[in-house]
Amino acid sequence: MTKLLPVLVSILIAVLLTSILTWALGESPLVVAEVLLRGSVGTATAFGYTLYYATPLIFTGLAVAWALRAGLFNIGAEGQMTMGGIAMAATGILFADLPSYLAWPLAVLAGFLAGAFWGGMVAWLKIRRGVHEVLGSILFNFISYGIAGFVILDLLRNHDSQNPETLPVGESYHLQALSELVGIGGTSPLNTAFFLALAVAIVVDIVLQRTLFGLRIRWTGGAPEFARRTGLSISATTLKAFAISGGIAGLAGASAVLGYMHKAREGFASGAGFVGIAVALLGGGRAWGVVAAAILFGGLQKGSLDLDLDTENISRDLAVVVQALIVLAVASRGSIIELWQLWKSRRESSKAGRA
Amino acid sequence: MDLFIAFLESTIRLSVPLLFAALGGLISERSGLANVALEGKLLISAFVGAAVAATTGNPWLALGAGVFSAALGGWIFGALAVITRADHIVVGIAFNMLVAGLIPTICRALFGGTGGTPQLAIEARLPTPMAGDFTFFGAALLLCWMMHWALRETRWGLRLKAAGDQPVALIVQGVSPNNIRVWAGALAGACVGFGGIDLSMVQGSGYIRDMAGGRGYIALAALILGGWRPVPTAIACLVFAAADATQMLLQGQKLFGFNVPNSLVQIVPYLVTIAVLALRFGGKGMLAPKAINQPINP
Repeated sequence: MTKLLPVLVSILIAVLLTSILTWALGESPLVVAEVLLRGSVGTATAFGYTLYYATPLIFTGLAVAWALRAGLFNIGAEGQMTMGGIAMAATGILFADLPSYLAWPLAVLAGFLAGAFWGGMVAWLKIRRGVHEVLGSILFNFISYGIAGFVILDLLRNHDSQNPETLPVGESYHLQALSELVGIGGTSPLNTAFFLALAVAIVVDIVLQRTLFGLRIRWTGGAPEFARRTGLSISATTLKAFAISGGIAGLAGASAVLGYMHKAREGFASGAGFVGIAVALLGGGRAWGVVAAAILFGGLQKGSLDLDLDTENISRDLAVVVQALIVLAVASRGSIIELWQLWKSRRESSKAGRA
Repeated sequence: MDLFIAFLESTIRLSVPLLFAALGGLISERSGLANVALEGKLLISAFVGAAVAATTGNPWLALGAGVFSAALGGWIFGALAVITRADHIVVGIAFNMLVAGLIPTICRALFGGTGGTPQLAIEARLPTPMAGDFTFFGAALLLCWMMHWALRETRWGLRLKAAGDQPVALIVQGVSPNNIRVWAGALAGACVGFGGIDLSMVQGSGYIRDMAGGRGYIALAALILGGWRPVPTAIACLVFAAADATQMLLQGQKLFGFNVPNSLVQIVPYLVTIAVLALRFGGKGMLAPKAINQPINP
């Protein structure tokens, strides 16, 4: 509870600031809240969409959170997700006729490896050439957009389509929609990639909390000097941790590419990598926190789509503002707790003075 | 020959926002305030400048408003980083996200669409007395020289460097390094602001969504490559601008008989940036300010 309380207070502060903003723009915060709630959890389909939007955020959030435990800042999840999605689509197009028990696992593996390679290069630049991982990640993001554009618009382009998209992947690669499989999610495109995300969350938590490798990663992040003295190679752990983080982010495209569009469309990552940073910071070090934060942000994204139509002055970009404010509030929660403690101790000492 | 002149011209043009952003970032980073929020500040001044020009039609008012808004943004960024004592990079990312969300929101309330400001009329854009962007380019070089001088010769410069390298020395003197960092953040914002104005009112004619396009990050790379010193940083900016100019000239051209796809050509500047960073003269350049991104307890 002591851990959860500051997070809830942070969210409350962000909501308060957003309300002031919407009020200043001439919209009632209550109306905005109503639109957001109705759009995100109002119907079975709306909630299905919320979980569909949350799915890539679970992957990217886990990726960033995993790297943070190793003391690394992975803001390249967007690029790793892009490369992973392209790899999945390419596998599905080039080996379209595989039987389904081979097909989608192969695509998922390709996505993981592509993301891991992309993350690994950033880590290699950091440990061998001293390029800070934040700068490296950002530059690799831009490069990944170019490569994705090349693959989607030139190499594997579907010339019969008006949209900038690749050829369709083979049928055996399709991840089933949950509405067909178990009848949840209304008519939303929510698909089995959501279960894959939950499975990865469980695996990440077990590895970090229960294995020697996870312990080494936490040492590297939390007490690098101690880790070094135990004979652990910081560089090797950094490389492994960042590559795995990239791999997890590389899976994030599965929901859209294999589960919904069945092809890669330009810009399919749509910022999920960056929102993943906010998800990881809000979710804290544990996987269940990341999943909860991802669902919250997924709902925010889905609900905000209706703001374009249902309000006069506010657009879906309000979701980005809320996310940014939550990150700021969570980042400053240390000083919020300190202020609170200072206030409490002053009050107690003044009480003691009177008595 | 014509091609070479076109290349030089576009190098100079493209270097202006990078120079202002990188030199602004230099002020803030030398004070110990790690600054990944350059991108956000470029966008703020580009948007505010264009919005003021579109509504009032007065380019000079727009210039002032744009630079002031970026300075205010920098001040807020510095204050947030110092007060919360959070990781500067986290605060910077949140700042960039906040700007990315706020600008379209305000843009829709003012102009009815999230895509950008209306096209600016010629009178509402900054008059450019000398050919093209050379005025801004000259101003950027002047700023570079002034910073080179001020960091060595003035009390202000010495204190700025002390706040980034050895904050304890300032505390002993009774000067608050946190104060210096906050004001360095504001000053950095003002410098970056000129770069944003250049984007939307000199090179462009109005604000277009996300028009900084990663220049804030390239500027950060230039700053690191330049070893946090003004003159090498400016040279690094020129190298990256030249890479960008090459990219623009290559678009739609045939190379060795092949059509080079535009999406691949566009990544040339980023590849150059990474290659130059990776091949950096290992260890010979000046290292980062020692107390960068380290909060100071009052």
